Amino acid sequence: MCLALITKTGFNVAWLKITILISCVFMFQFPVQTFAADARLDLTTDEKAWLKAHPEIRIAPDPDFAPFEWFSNDGSYKGMVAEYVQLIEQRLGVKFKVINAGKWSQVMDMARSREIDVLPALASSPQREKYFLFTKPHISAKGVIVTSKGYKTIQQLLGKRIAVVNDYVWDDWITHNEHDVDLYRVETTLAGLELAALGVVDAMVSDLASVTYLIRENGLSNLSVVPGIERDLELRFGIRNDWPELKPILDKAIASLTIKEKEAIRARWLYLEEHGFWRKPIFWYSVLATVAALLLLLTATIIWNRALQQRVELRTRELQNANVKLMQAEKMESIGRLAAGVAHEVKNPLAIIQMGADFLSQELPKDETTGEVIKDIDDAVQRADTVIRGLLDFSRDKKLERTVGSINEVIESSLHLVGHELRQRQIEVKTQLTDELPDLALDASKLQQVFINLFMNAAHAMERDGELYVTSQLKTLQQADLSRDTENRFNQGETVLWVEVRDNGPGIIDQDSSKIFDPFYTTKPVGEGTGLGLSVSRNIINLHQGSIDIRNHQQGGASVVMMFQLNREKQNEKTHTGGGR
Amino acid sequence: MKKRILVVDDEPALTRMVKLNLERTGKYEVRTENQGSLAIQAAREFKPDLIFLDVMMPDKSGDEVSAELKEDEELSQIKFIFMTAIVTKDETESMGSNIGGHEFLAKPVKTDELLATIERVLGD
Repeated sequence: MCLALITKTGFNVAWLKITILISCVFMFQFPVQTFAADARLDLTTDEKAWLKAHPEIRIAPDPDFAPFEWFSNDGSYKGMVAEYVQLIEQRLGVKFKVINAGKWSQVMDMARSREIDVLPALASSPQREKYFLFTKPHISAKGVIVTSKGYKTIQQLLGKRIAVVNDYVWDDWITHNEHDVDLYRVETTLAGLELAALGVVDAMVSDLASVTYLIRENGLSNLSVVPGIERDLELRFGIRNDWPELKPILDKAIASLTIKEKEAIRARWLYLEEHGFWRKPIFWYSVLATVAALLLLLTATIIWNRALQQRVELRTRELQNANVKLMQAEKMESIGRLAAGVAHEVKNPLAIIQMGADFLSQELPKDETTGEVIKDIDDAVQRADTVIRGLLDFSRDKKLERTVGSINEVIESSLHLVGHELRQRQIEVKTQLTDELPDLALDASKLQQVFINLFMNAAHAMERDGELYVTSQLKTLQQADLSRDTENRFNQGETVLWVEVRDNGPGIIDQDSSKIFDPFYTTKPVGEGTGLGLSVSRNIINLHQGSIDIRNHQQGGASVVMMFQLNREKQNEKTHTGGGR
Repeated sequence: MKKRILVVDDEPALTRMVKLNLERTGKYEVRTENQGSLAIQAAREFKPDLIFLDVMMPDKSGDEVSAELKEDEELSQIKFIFMTAIVTKDETESMGSNIGGHEFLAKPVKTDELLATIERVLGD
């Protein structure tokens, strides 16, 4: 350890030698004799003697070559090779002095200058054979290409920028085989992988074990690892070449390692996630991210749920309101029907009594008593008639109760009331109601009666799958528009509120159009319509000083156009202002 | 010469009352008919100047009768007034007794009112 420090900080060689000497002296004082070679190794006498003469052997691992070997943050020697070294140390009964050289190139320099005796994980190459003797391999791993750009073979890498760790076997191999690539030497495998991930280099050449280990440990995600290097990484002990005696000893030690021992070591370092994956930050980051995502999803679901609930409540309230209105309308209608029936049955006898009284008043002597009796009959008939009229008025009041309101609101509420009927007939409603139309003095319930009548007529005409168009707009009347002003109320150039209700049904049969507003005119089967609908509608529109016209549309179907006068006073004001008064 | 008036209503008592009240003025000759389906035949025979038509009659409604009258060359000039229970006085008053081009009288009607309407319609 102290040696490594000295080396790194660049003390002079003399100092270094003294230090080595001191540490050797120190070592000799420890009871090294307690170590003895394992009998199973079957070492020769010479070999045993050699070991005895060399009780401490300096080894320098690669400081950054996971999972094979590396130094952890607390400075301890870790990895598969570290465990092999420990086993062999026990078998041989020697002491391996582990030196941390700081970085791989420094390890190589020190080994070449014999400051280190053995490198425990070294791949052989012709260049290295100048300095090292190699044992048989103890670990092997496939050579691989690591790239973020999809290369598959070494041929595809020709001319590309390839990262290798400086002085690793892949550096030697590429250089020796004179592959025509732009070599980019990095200090560590991780540095190369990061450059490959960023696309700074086109690929990295390394071994499968360290690449998969580092990718997993560091969460590099966009890299693909492909075979394509026809060479395996075979790690051996590299021994200083002036120590040939050690090579057979180490080979025997390697051969003594059982398959079981090797498997145990491999399992410990190559399949790390099977033992304690929860200790890795990446696992916890993933857990945290997943939990955060789930929380977000949960929150979103709750908010969405609440919004939906509110919408459901709103729709339910609307439906309830519509239902109440519809029931009210139905009630009114049945009261109206009842009233009409009663009225008819009672009015005829009333008419008889009335005319009978009229006749008698002329025929009987004109005395006071007779006059009073006749007057009483008259009054009684009037009273009964008033009651009947009151009953009828309840359902169909012919006097307008005008308030200032929006025609669009009337149209929309009418559509709402017949919505169920239209949906049942699968009629699609297409509205184009111009926003912010001027308000009119209107009787909303009367106009609603008109619109409902028009919508239902259209629905009956179309039967199923029809389209109902309802538009409202301000329109300045042209000559052609005046033909639709059936009441001759409006002038060319006048701006009116123009409402059109159009369907795509069969339209009006020609002979019908002239008498379509006749009070008893109906095309519906007996019992379905009174025929009063359109004539009543026309009267209501007239009471609003408007006009209504029905005719066939050029594109088929019937078109009803209603025009309403805008507030004349306002128009006059405008005219006056325009006139400069 | 007396004007001729045909009264069509399915209520015999009413047609009799109308006939009595109109004829006692001495100005009108009145014939009554209590079935809608016989109204056209009666008009052809009687050749009235004016017909009072009830609307809701069991065998033939007043508006059907009026439609046939209009289509008949011989009878199309005859004026007619619907005297009916299906409209109210409010309706006839607010619309000037004219709904969709037709004259309406709401039952029950006083004799004075009936006479005034006849005079107006016949232009006396």
